[in-house]
Amino acid sequence: MYLQLTDEKLIGLLRKNDPLALETLFNRYYKQLCQFCAVYTKDYEAAEEIIADLFIKVWDGRHDTAILNIKNYLFISARNLSINYTQKKKDPVDSIEDISFQNHLFEDGSTPFRILSGRESVSGILRLIDTLPERQREILLMSRIDHIDKSKISEILGISIRTVETTLYQSIKELRRMLKDSTNLKSNS
Amino acid sequence: MEDNSYRLIVAYFEKTISDEELTELREWIELYPGNQEQFWETMQILEASKSYFKKTDQVGTASWQRINAHIQKEEKSNVGRKIHWLAYAASILIIGSMSLWWYKHSSYKADTAVAYTEVINPEGQQSKILLPDSSVIYLAGGSKIKYRKNFSGNKRSVSLEGEAFFEVMHGKKPFMIQSGEIATVVLGTSFNVRAFASDHKVTVTVNSGKVGVMKTVRGKNHLIKYLTPNEQIEINTITGLYAFDTANAADVSAWIKNHFVFYDVPIREVMASLEHRYGVRIEFIEPEIGNSRVTAKFKNMPLKDVMDELMVLSGLTYIEKNGHIFIYSVNQKGGKIMN
Repeated sequence: MYLQLTDEKLIGLLRKNDPLALETLFNRYYKQLCQFCAVYTKDYEAAEEIIADLFIKVWDGRHDTAILNIKNYLFISARNLSINYTQKKKDPVDSIEDISFQNHLFEDGSTPFRILSGRESVSGILRLIDTLPERQREILLMSRIDHIDKSKISEILGISIRTVETTLYQSIKELRRMLKDSTNLKSNS
Repeated sequence: MEDNSYRLIVAYFEKTISDEELTELREWIELYPGNQEQFWETMQILEASKSYFKKTDQVGTASWQRINAHIQKEEKSNVGRKIHWLAYAASILIIGSMSLWWYKHSSYKADTAVAYTEVINPEGQQSKILLPDSSVIYLAGGSKIKYRKNFSGNKRSVSLEGEAFFEVMHGKKPFMIQSGEIATVVLGTSFNVRAFASDHKVTVTVNSGKVGVMKTVRGKNHLIKYLTPNEQIEINTITGLYAFDTANAADVSAWIKNHFVFYDVPIREVMASLEHRYGVRIEFIEPEIGNSRVTAKFKNMPLKDVMDELMVLSGLTYIEKNGHIFIYSVNQKGGKIMN
């Protein structure tokens, strides 16, 4: 295997039609890319399909383009493809009018106390995460993927590291506020 | 201040927290009961958001099989290959005929005593140069061109170090710009070449006409790509890898009118352009902060205004000392500079 080769060396081999170079890149980035994609698609299977297509595209384009930084190229392409995907199958659940998270919480019988403590909390928070402003949601989730740190996020999204940090903190603040609101709502009713 | 506590909690969660920060976090938690609440809620949120990603240890075997099937199929399909080779053959033909044409027209032997004209711009100074064939070169600060007086010989040949915008008059002799191993060949067009040695890359952007970009290997020119208007090629001069893209050519060459247009450009490159334009030294205290990207336009603005605006956009800070600018991230101030 080519495990110890750098990305640039692998791209060089790829241009000489070496499938093993593609496989090494695949093993190196596949999982991260799928997780990254799933932030947008909210569907891991769809993410896997998008990423497989992306690697096919890299193979087909191996002679035409030379990429200066394959990692950035993969992540930026993955983001564009995922956004295209989500725009194509506009999920009605995503529109802002439909977001009334209190109802969601009541539906499955979770009480605010369970949300702030115990096992229900995870699914409750996950549901709230989907109601965050897009950028906040994007950065909060992305920064939880292994091997993707804030400098990588800043490169992929084209914003400063500082903006990544402040947006992350805003997302946490916003979630805490929503959790509090849902607690108050329940105790008042 | 509130951000600082979040910063500490996130670092704690990610296990990247330093000993000093850990002490700071402990003290902060004990300071006030609400802080403890903030700590636990934040930890829960981070934990929950991590669980967003499926805990799968499967390595995408199915996906790889699909990709692999595609590779195999392509290798077997002769038709696909033939088309590919045909395209190759065609491009070789073009290069072939072009280099043949050069061989016929260029006289490499002769003229030992050729007179050259050289124009060197110091940092911070731009100039406009009229060439013997009425072509015009706008030469950026910190850049140098050299050409044969009267353009004798069978091609109009100019060597460039740095950045220049060319408006080439139509002529029978090809116009050729040599920047290191990269040659740009045209008959009559306008385009921008950026080839500062310190960038380790050459970028060619075409405004009008058609431009051929070639790489010189052992004295022979190999065509890399033809560019048409608003196309751009960026060649890494260390690895030889190149990236092809579209770009707004008018923006790229805006510097000739003392305008700067940066569209999603790493701030490191922005600063390099400012260095050449204003003749200052600009340094990043932490190299990685140079990666953040900015989009901005400046028309004829003094350096201070440009810097102030860029700092607002990027969230960075700078200090100036004896015409030397140091950029740093506010976060990292304290310790490092003082020590």
